[in-house]
Amino acid sequence: MGKNDYNLNRRQFLKSGAIAVGALAAVGAGVGYLQKVTAESRINQKFLRPPGAIDESTFIYGCIKCGLCVQICPVQAIKLAGIKDGLAYGTPYIDVREQACDFSCDSMQCVETCPTAVLNFVQFKDVGEKAIEEYDATHKRDENYNPFPVQILAMKSIVKMGVAKLKPESCLAFQGKGFKGSPRGSSFKGVNRSPYSGDLKATPVHDKVYDEKICDICVKECPIGDTAIVMADAGSGKMVPKVLDGCTGCGVCVMVCPTEEPSIIVEPVKS
Amino acid sequence: MFGKNNKTPLPAKKKEDIPYIKEGISFKDWKAKNGSGHKWRTIRWSVLIGINLLFILSFMFDLSLLEGSLSGSRLFGFYLMDPFNSLQMLIISAYTGHIKFLTMNFVIGFLTIFIFYFLMGGRTFCSWICPYHFLAEWGEKLHNYLVKKKKIKEHTYNIYLRYVFWAGFLILAFVTQQLVFEDVNPIGILSRAMIYGPGLILLWILALITFEIVYSKRFWCRYVCPVGATWSLVGKASPFGVKFELDKCAHCLDCQKVCLVPHELWFVEKGKATDKRHDVGSDCTRCGLCIDACPGNALGYTIKGWDRIL
Repeated sequence: MGKNDYNLNRRQFLKSGAIAVGALAAVGAGVGYLQKVTAESRINQKFLRPPGAIDESTFIYGCIKCGLCVQICPVQAIKLAGIKDGLAYGTPYIDVREQACDFSCDSMQCVETCPTAVLNFVQFKDVGEKAIEEYDATHKRDENYNPFPVQILAMKSIVKMGVAKLKPESCLAFQGKGFKGSPRGSSFKGVNRSPYSGDLKATPVHDKVYDEKICDICVKECPIGDTAIVMADAGSGKMVPKVLDGCTGCGVCVMVCPTEEPSIIVEPVKS
Repeated sequence: MFGKNNKTPLPAKKKEDIPYIKEGISFKDWKAKNGSGHKWRTIRWSVLIGINLLFILSFMFDLSLLEGSLSGSRLFGFYLMDPFNSLQMLIISAYTGHIKFLTMNFVIGFLTIFIFYFLMGGRTFCSWICPYHFLAEWGEKLHNYLVKKKKIKEHTYNIYLRYVFWAGFLILAFVTQQLVFEDVNPIGILSRAMIYGPGLILLWILALITFEIVYSKRFWCRYVCPVGATWSLVGKASPFGVKFELDKCAHCLDCQKVCLVPHELWFVEKGKATDKRHDVGSDCTRCGLCIDACPGNALGYTIKGWDRIL
C-alpha cells in the first residue's frame, strides 16, 4: 500500500499513542494541580467579572475566551486575563482602578454579545419584566412608547459584580479633609459618565475638577446613587461615605478616589 | 487496515506514456516549460493575512466587521464558533446543566461553521485561516534546510495520533471541568495575542515552533491539533477538494515533498494509483502547494462531481 512509509502501521501507532496518552495525562495532572492550589481563589473569586456573570465554577469552563465582550464595551473596561493568572487565562475581568464599568452603555452589550451565556440576563429577567409592567401602567402605547431604557436601568441597578468596601485609615473624609483638583491627575486615561451631568457620552476623568470641603467624590460619581453609597453621619457631625445594599460593584468610586492607594475597593461577590 | 484502498493498483505507466517523454523533451525542460510559480500560495497567504488583519483592525478601530477572535467571532453581526472549543464546552455544559442557557447565537454560530467548512473541505481552515499554520510554514522551511544540511534528523509519527489527542482533550475537559485545550491552543493564543495584545503565553508558541524546527516537521499540525482533526472528520465527504489525473503525472514526487500530509498523496507514486483519477482525502488542507509544485498540472482544485458533469 505504500502507506507504511508514513508510519501508518500498528506498532508505530501504539508506541506513539502511548506517548500521546502520557502527554495528555501530564497535562491533566498539571491542570488538576493548578485547580487544587487555586481552589481558594476560585471560590473567593479573585476577579471582578463583567455584569451578569454566573458563578465562577461555571464561568471558568463556559467562557470560550473569544473576547467579544472586550470588543463591545464602549468604555473598554473589560480585559482578558494573562497566563500568570493560571487557569483563568483568557477570561474577562474588570480592573476598576484603571477603568470602571460606568454603566454608560445603552443596553449592557457585554451580556447581550456573550454567545455562551456566562454573562446572561437570566438573573435580571424578573426586574426587567417588572420595570416594563410599571412603565406600561403609566405610559400610553403611542409613538413615544419605549420602555427599553427604563428596563435596562432597572436591570443595571441590580447588577452584583461585587461590593465596595471603605478603608477608613486612608479615606480623606474620615480625616475630615477635602479635595481640590482632578482626582487622578492629568495623565489618567479612564472615562466616566457622571450621572448628574446629563451628558450621554462618557467623559475623561482628568477633565473634571472638584472643589470639595469634605471629600465626597465617590458619592457624587456613583452611577447608582442614594441606594448604593451616601454621606452619613459617623458621630459628632462628621460626614463619611457609607456603602449600602444597592452597591453593584461597578467600581466608579474606586476609579475616582483621589488617594494614592484607593481608599475604597471592590470585593468580588462570593459565589 | 482502514479499508480505504482495497482495489488493485493499475499497472505502472509505460515509458512512452510519461508526459515529458511523450512530448520528446527532458524532464528539466518540461518542468521549466510549464513553470510552477507560487500562484496559490500567494492567494492563500493573502487570504490568511487579510482575515487576521481584519480581526485586528476591527478591534483597533472599533469596526463591526469581524469582531472577537478565532475562538469565537462575529462576522457582520453573524456569530461563528470554534468547533473544538465549543465541543469541549458543550460536553461539560451538558453534564452540569449550563447547556440550557446557551444562546441562539451560539447554536447558529456553531452550525454555520460546520456547514461552511463542510462545503469548503474541512481542513481548509488550517491553511487558509490559521495563524499558527502560517508560522509553521516558515518553520517547516527552516526545518527542511536543516535536514538538507544534515544538522538534524527527521522524526515522524503516526498521523492517527491526532484522534488520540482529540478524544483525550475532550475527556480531559470533562474530567477537569475546564477548557484544557484552549489553554494550549496555538490558534486561540496567537489570535488573542494579535488582537488584544501579547502576553507571556507566547513563550509556549515559541517552544512549539522550536520543537517543530529542530525535531519533528509540523509536529503540532500533523500529530496533535484536535481542531484540525475535527475539520478532518467534517471534510470526509466535502465537495471541494484537490483532484489528481494520472495521465498528466510523471511521478516526480515534487508534490509529496511540499505537502503537509504526504500520506494523502499516496497515489502519485509509481504503480500505486488504482484509478485514472483520484480525489485527495480529508486530511488535505487544500493549501495548493502541490498544485503550484506539479510540473504537469496533474493536480488541481475541483468540486467533486461537478467537473464530471461538465
